[in-house]
Amino acid sequence: MSVIVLDKDAAVSHLQRRPRVSLERGAIILVTALWVLGALMPILALFVISVLRAKGLSFDFSLTLQAYRDVLVDFRLEIILRTLRVVAVVTLIEFLLGYPFAIWLAKGIRSGLAKSIILVLLVVPFFLSPAARTIVWRSILGNDGLINNLLLSVGLVDTPVSWLLFSEFAVHLGLIGPYFPSMVWPIFISVSLIDDELIKASRDLGATGLQTLWYVVTPLAVPGIVAGFLFTAIPMLGDNVASTLLGGGRVALIAESFDDLIRAMNFTGAAALGAILVVAVIATALIIRWVLVHLDRNNGHRLKVMSS
Amino acid sequence: MEGTPAICAESARSPILQLGGVWHSYGAVTVLHNISLHVERGEFLTLLGPSGSGKSTLLRIIAGLENPQKVAMMLLDGMDITWAPANERNVSTVFQHFALFPHMSVGENVEYSLKLRRIPAPERRRRAESMLSLVRLTGKYDRRIYQLSGGERQRVALARSLVMGPDILLLDEPLGALDERLRLDMQRELIELRRATGVTFILVTHSQEEAVSMSDRIALMRAGTIEQLGSPNDLFSRPQTEFAARFMGFENVMHGILRAKRGDLAEVDVGGATLLGRMVSKSAAMNPGDRVFAAIRAEHVEVDCQRTGNSVTAVRGDPIYKGRYYDIPFSTQLGTLIARFGELPVNLACKTNITFSPERCVVGVLGPEGIH
Ligand SMILES: Nc1ncnc2c1ncn2[C@@H]1O[C@H](COP(=O)(O)OP(=O)(O)OP(=O)(O)O)[C@@H](O)[C@H]1O
Ligand SMILES: [Mg+2]
Repeated sequence: MSVIVLDKDAAVSHLQRRPRVSLERGAIILVTALWVLGALMPILALFVISVLRAKGLSFDFSLTLQAYRDVLVDFRLEIILRTLRVVAVVTLIEFLLGYPFAIWLAKGIRSGLAKSIILVLLVVPFFLSPAARTIVWRSILGNDGLINNLLLSVGLVDTPVSWLLFSEFAVHLGLIGPYFPSMVWPIFISVSLIDDELIKASRDLGATGLQTLWYVVTPLAVPGIVAGFLFTAIPMLGDNVASTLLGGGRVALIAESFDDLIRAMNFTGAAALGAILVVAVIATALIIRWVLVHLDRNNGHRLKVMSS
Repeated sequence: MEGTPAICAESARSPILQLGGVWHSYGAVTVLHNISLHVERGEFLTLLGPSGSGKSTLLRIIAGLENPQKVAMMLLDGMDITWAPANERNVSTVFQHFALFPHMSVGENVEYSLKLRRIPAPERRRRAESMLSLVRLTGKYDRRIYQLSGGERQRVALARSLVMGPDILLLDEPLGALDERLRLDMQRELIELRRATGVTFILVTHSQEEAVSMSDRIALMRAGTIEQLGSPNDLFSRPQTEFAARFMGFENVMHGILRAKRGDLAEVDVGGATLLGRMVSKSAAMNPGDRVFAAIRAEHVEVDCQRTGNSVTAVRGDPIYKGRYYDIPFSTQLGTLIARFGELPVNLACKTNITFSPERCVVGVLGPEGIH
């Protein structure tokens, strides 16, 4: 009863703002609904399907962990671990390359034009087909590719270096290019937002460039760095282009397993593998966050402020 | 100059900062023209000037945050710092918007320079706490920056700069971001802080009131040059140029011709009328026939029937209410003169006589820019 009266009061006192409030509320509800439908439901469905029993093309509605048992065979465990390792290594390389680059882009370049040009160049590769830009590596790394020809003609080697192509090395190399912008963009944005005066103040108080980087720039760029790691690592987990084209069947990554399972119409298996991957991704995200938060006691406050 | 022992013994007394022949430009625009400036140990020097006159640029050059195009001499405590980067100069800046590190607590901000110098944590904390109590922020060590008011942020910035024991503290319009009341309080606090620490202060402002009430000396800047350098009283009552007179708040500035010199008084012809004023430019530099300016403050213009000093008939205009006083413009043969009154004078006739003393009226030569 009292609830209804309260509602009436609120409605009367906010009479003039009512349309705006209901519009905002409507938008929030709509977005939430879309998010639940578009993002959460499929993931939930993934978990549900993964514990059902397959019956031909359809499912028998009884719970079982059979799909997990089928999927988690030795060679697939190996694939999962390899995928995690490759993604971790390449993401780290992206960070080591991307962080200085993002800082230079955000604070080092004076000319606005040069900055715009570089930012555009960063996105241009997205307009190329992933397969097209990856396959180029074959003509560079192959036995009669650019590098081997060069090495042979200089006389550094007698026979072509064979581990350049169809190897883990090649897969790593092939993954670096496509995911570089994903690392650079969020870091670039958060470094750009750091007030120049803070950097000047740090120098003025006696900090060297490296000290300013460690004590001022990095803590303030943490949100961007976290985003960079997530935007880089998560899509990379699902990448099948580099491993297919440059791995030569020797460096199977998890994305190929999905292709295989679905081709074999083992949907519960694919769902189980997907569920494992989702858990792995969330776990990785939490680990990255934990590491960054504990990297420096100060950073924690910042993150808390950002996420509250 | 360096070699002789007598000079060496004197070095403790030498200026803390010596600048000579500093030039700087951004692209084609020269913003500092051949600046030379000596700053004494422990003095409170103010760089005063209008927007764009190069005050901040000069400050950044002293701090090492900007490299000057050309410089003949730049000595800090007798040492050449021309090529020393900002982090190797023992000077510290309080930025206009304070530039406090948002991810650190108040205490961590204050300790920052000590942490860089690898001073152990307990010692750091002790010094930070004592600095915080000096700026009246005792007990705020663990506060976050966003929890502070503007005035408190200002004090944290001061503590952060002072804790490293700088030779010079540079303040770029530190009071600009504060409200009127707080500004007056902080003016007093800055004076006390300088006394308590003995550190040399160089402050930038465009407010002549601020400059006059805080400084030992004022360098009035204009378009990249130092127009006049002197004590607050020098600038306030003896501006050497028309620009200085206007900037120091002389409401009435007239142009005229110097007729004759009588001691340190000058007889000036303004629009056919003659007035007497005190010469502020070296009298040797002034000759009869020269174009000069004459300036008088509104509060020194009086309505008086007794015709003492300079006297001229005037037609009253409409009073302008200014809060603590009224300004009344009068049309006279000398041009429009503004007179200031605490209260509106009663029965003020429309046509009257206004007078001002020759002692209060300053006369100086016009620079080339004043002659049209
Ligand atoms: N980074 C810069 N690039 C180009 N021009 C600049 C730069 N900084 C300052 N200027 C120019 O140099 C001149 C002097 O600037 P400065 O900031 O020293 O003035 P200021 O006296 O501090 O003025 P204000 O009172 O407005 O702060 C101005 O004309 C300004 O436009
Ligand atoms: Mg300025």
